[in-house]
Order: sequence, then C-alpha cells, then structure tokens
Amino acid sequence: MNLDLFDDMEGIILHEREASLVSEMKNNNGNGSMTRFPKNTPLAMAYVPFQQWGETYGDDEALSRGTLFPELDLPFLKGGADK
Amino acid sequence: MNEKNMLLSRIKKYDFTLKELNLYLDTHPNCRRALSMFRKYRELRRDAVQEYNKRFGPLTPEQVTDTQSWTWVEDPWPWERR
Repeated sequence: MNLDLFDDMEGIILHEREASLVSEMKNNNGNGSMTRFPKNTPLAMAYVPFQQWGETYGDDEALSRGTLFPELDLPFLKGGADK
Repeated sequence: MNEKNMLLSRIKKYDFTLKELNLYLDTHPNCRRALSMFRKYRELRRDAVQEYNKRFGPLTPEQVTDTQSWTWVEDPWPWERR
C-alpha cells in the first residue's frame, strides 16, 4: 500500500520525536507533565499526539494559512482536490 | 485598501489569532506562553477596535457611545456598500 500523503512519514516521525525530546528537556510543553504521547501506548489503538507549544505564525500569515500553528498547517492536497 | 478596510483587516487578524489561542488554551490551560500571547493580542484588538470606533463608528451596537443619536444606523449597511 502506497499512501502518497504520508510519503515522508519517517521524516515526520523522526522530527516529532526530536521535537518532543527537546520540549521535554526544556520542560516547556505548557501543560505540566502532558507529553506528546502517554508513556504506555498499547498496540492496535489509534492515538492523536497531544500538541506541544512551539512556533507560531504572525497574525497575518495565521489568517491566510488558516491556523496559528505551523505544525498544524497540513494542506492535504496530494490525493484529492488537485487531481 | 483604504484606512478603514486596513483597520478592519487588522481586527480580523487579531480575532483569528485570539480564537486560535482560545482553542489551544482550552486543552492547555496552564500554558503561560499561550496566556501571555492571548493577553498581548487582546490588547492589540482592543486598541484597534477603539481606534475604529473613534474614526469610523461602532462595529457592534454596544459600541454606540453617542448620547444624542443612535449612530449604529448611520453607517452604510453591508448591502449598501459598493
């Protein structure tokens, strides 16, 4: 199965692991002990990572991108509208 | 873009940023960075709205401050603008 949408999934996962490590080190995730994922993640369950405070767009760019957070700026284009 | 529209556009951007921070804070209520950014944008918005009210009139009915006249109805309505 080849999901074009996630072709850089490994890159994304690596990036997220690094980012969550860095934010744990700085202890600046903004919500006490809430990490991106809980310590125990049983198999066969789906998880939504808990957002950590990071970069923000300026108000101008935020409105035009539709989100304040670059990490949530995920235009889903590859398999859809533009085909 | 004229000054009125520029001011409106600034208020729109501030509103969007405040809404985004509102949603983030709903799930991260103790994030001091988000809280301080929210405070900053609330002030920016307040100042922009005050400036708009002073120069171009009310954006919402409760912003009418005139004691002689209900200035809310003076502005052109959206369908009257060209």
